Amino acid sequence: MKLDPSIVARIQFAFTVSFHIIFPTMSIGLASFLAVIEALWLKTKKPIYLEIYKFWLSIFSMGFGIGVVTGIVLSFEFGLGFSRFAQMAGPAIGPLIALEVLTAFFLEAGFLGIMLFGLNRVGPKLHFFATCMVAIGTLLSASWILSANSWMQTPAGVAIQGGHLTVVSWRHVLVNPSWLYRLPHMVTAAYLTASFMVAGVGAWYLLRGKHQHFARRTLALGTAFATVLIAAQVFIGDILYGTMLKHQPSKMQAAEGFWEKQSQSPAPYLWFIVPDQNNQRNRFQLGTPYLGSIWLTHSLDGRVEGLKNTPRDLQPRMGMVFYAFRIMYCSAMVMFAVGVASLWLRFRGTLFSSRWFLWILVFMTPSGIVATLAGWYVAETGRQPWVIYGILKTADAISPVPAPALWSTLVAFVCVYAVFITAFLIFTLRIIRRGPSEVHSYAEASGSLKNAFRPYVLDSPGRLLTTNITQRS
Amino acid sequence: MDLPLISVSFLAFALTLYVILDGFDLGIGILLLFQPAPMSRDHMIDSITPTWDGNETWIIMAGVTLLAAFPVAYSILLPAFYLPVILMLLGLGFRGVSFEFRVQSRQHRHRWDVAFAVGSLVAAFMQGLVLGSLMQGVKVQNQHFSGSLLDVVHPLPIITGLALPFGYAVLGGGWLKLKSGLRLQAFANRSIRVSAALFAILFALACLYAAKIQPGLRSKWTSHGIALACLAGLFAIASGLLTTLPKKTVPVVPFLLGLFLLLVGISGLALSTFPDIVPFSVTLWEAASSATSQTFVLVGAAFVTPIILTYSAFAYWIFRGKTPDKGWEDDN
Repeated sequence: MKLDPSIVARIQFAFTVSFHIIFPTMSIGLASFLAVIEALWLKTKKPIYLEIYKFWLSIFSMGFGIGVVTGIVLSFEFGLGFSRFAQMAGPAIGPLIALEVLTAFFLEAGFLGIMLFGLNRVGPKLHFFATCMVAIGTLLSASWILSANSWMQTPAGVAIQGGHLTVVSWRHVLVNPSWLYRLPHMVTAAYLTASFMVAGVGAWYLLRGKHQHFARRTLALGTAFATVLIAAQVFIGDILYGTMLKHQPSKMQAAEGFWEKQSQSPAPYLWFIVPDQNNQRNRFQLGTPYLGSIWLTHSLDGRVEGLKNTPRDLQPRMGMVFYAFRIMYCSAMVMFAVGVASLWLRFRGTLFSSRWFLWILVFMTPSGIVATLAGWYVAETGRQPWVIYGILKTADAISPVPAPALWSTLVAFVCVYAVFITAFLIFTLRIIRRGPSEVHSYAEASGSLKNAFRPYVLDSPGRLLTTNITQRS
Repeated sequence: MDLPLISVSFLAFALTLYVILDGFDLGIGILLLFQPAPMSRDHMIDSITPTWDGNETWIIMAGVTLLAAFPVAYSILLPAFYLPVILMLLGLGFRGVSFEFRVQSRQHRHRWDVAFAVGSLVAAFMQGLVLGSLMQGVKVQNQHFSGSLLDVVHPLPIITGLALPFGYAVLGGGWLKLKSGLRLQAFANRSIRVSAALFAILFALACLYAAKIQPGLRSKWTSHGIALACLAGLFAIASGLLTTLPKKTVPVVPFLLGLFLLLVGISGLALSTFPDIVPFSVTLWEAASSATSQTFVLVGAAFVTPIILTYSAFAYWIFRGKTPDKGWEDDN
């Protein structure tokens, strides 16, 4: 096997970044979910919300931990695998990521300890503040990193002289043409991911006839969020599609699976293709007649642009982009159907008793992660061969590191990350099997900033005892 | 205004905070290897659990500041230190996930403790390896790394690689003395004394060896002779005090002495390489990005860093005092 460093470096980056994004996607969604739950707890003072909070907090904290340690890798990987990219793009994306660290990472890290271990030390109100800070941190982090990634997709605000890049307008770098659409797309995806996770676990308990109260509350919340969010996501996705069609036509050409400059009229919507990149055609294709024209051109006989509109050496690989797009798109359609079904069942009053629907929800638990990963594959494989679109090709961006070193570290990453994901799944499933534990102490939502300044009062065993007694009486 | 100079100061600030803050976290991890009692291990890890994440973030801050302000240096140094940096990242990864996983796993907790300890040790060793490789100099041609990935496997980096874990263990021992109850005081004292002695010897050996093989370093040392002699004197005094630590001292003293020891070491190294950002090849001005990029980072840092320091201090303050015997979890 021929060892081409640029391919191995890309596989390594793709693997580490794909693995990483699973965890921030969950963390962004779950952090906001936890903030909502804690707000409900503070408002209603019902112990069930604290029970939900504590249950999902333990899964959140594991996922967050993996997200942190796999994220550090990425901040060095720009230089490890793609030093020529780092040298060129550093002046533009470096400051964005630096601000991400300053405004988001530290915020999350600073308040995470209080969120995880500080409830009794600081009291519920300040604890809620800490949860909100962590949630805001995840959102700020998403904003900065999406800005950096969107700049690579649709670069703006820079001048290039002699291979060196200088920023001429930070506003244009930051608010580049695709950021405003890609950020809400990603945040909504993260929220959908958490909603389906929460609803799926609730559905599982209902099917097993366990933890009814907990299950009903989380399923009701999860499906409600999911329904609103998927409606929003379809809308955002449609706008983003138009934006990318304008800025990166080759990506969308590859995503739809047509080769000829203009497809036949009326165009089918393709579901399955066997692309032949060398001969610029599909060996086999299967689609629904008329649907392509209707969905993509909003007319009965419109034609769709094919990949031959892009010069051959600037084309992405069609297969990757097409199937990643289909997986994302089909997941969204199923999510939409589930959302509609949940509304109907809610209206009929059988949301908690329709077993077929509960099984679908269980099956849909990881759907958000699948869709998000697929979406990122569309974004990242579809902009190839460019790493900074139109400015720097991926093949010209790599480090002077020989292929064997890249291979061996890739193998190391795969082995280590396999341990991480296995442990994460085992422990998460164990937490789910064990179920939420009853909340004994501290079920009343009180406390104030004052407590934070004298935590020893809260520490004293007497205090905990009285809390327990008042709780029981 | 000399922007690259301000940027490099911020970079040094972030890196120093990383070394001393994650230093004691990694030190605790390394000391786990010498602590067989499961309850004591729980207690040691509990003492750093609520605040470790913020400490580790400073290395990302340093790395990303390098990318933003000195992209040339970033793109030379990371390929040059490809192997140690990746092994460090994997070590930090095992250390980080073990915080979460060891709590979940009662049956196999000792395995996650091993992962925690070995992860910390590997990360510390690799950081030491990078330090030694910086002292021996990095081969650069036309603003790209031109050496071999195996340049890090030389006597000098290996000596510094062995030294740094002991340096971190001094900090870890100091932290443990500060945070733990009576049970672990003797263990902490012993750790500090042994680690301080070995750290001082290995570090001195590394400096002598570096002076022998790197003419760039020798010339810097002769030009800053007096300042460096003072630092060396302070280093010797601090490590001497730590090595002969009496059993009954005020708990905070060894920790502060440990911080002082590391700070003196860092100042000495900074003085020996300044103004090179890739030692003996590229100066910080040659590696700097344009003024707009520097300004963007520095303005952001100027506004946000005080806020970060405030709430980080607040987090430390919330979890101040001795670590509870049953850990923070049962505290709830």
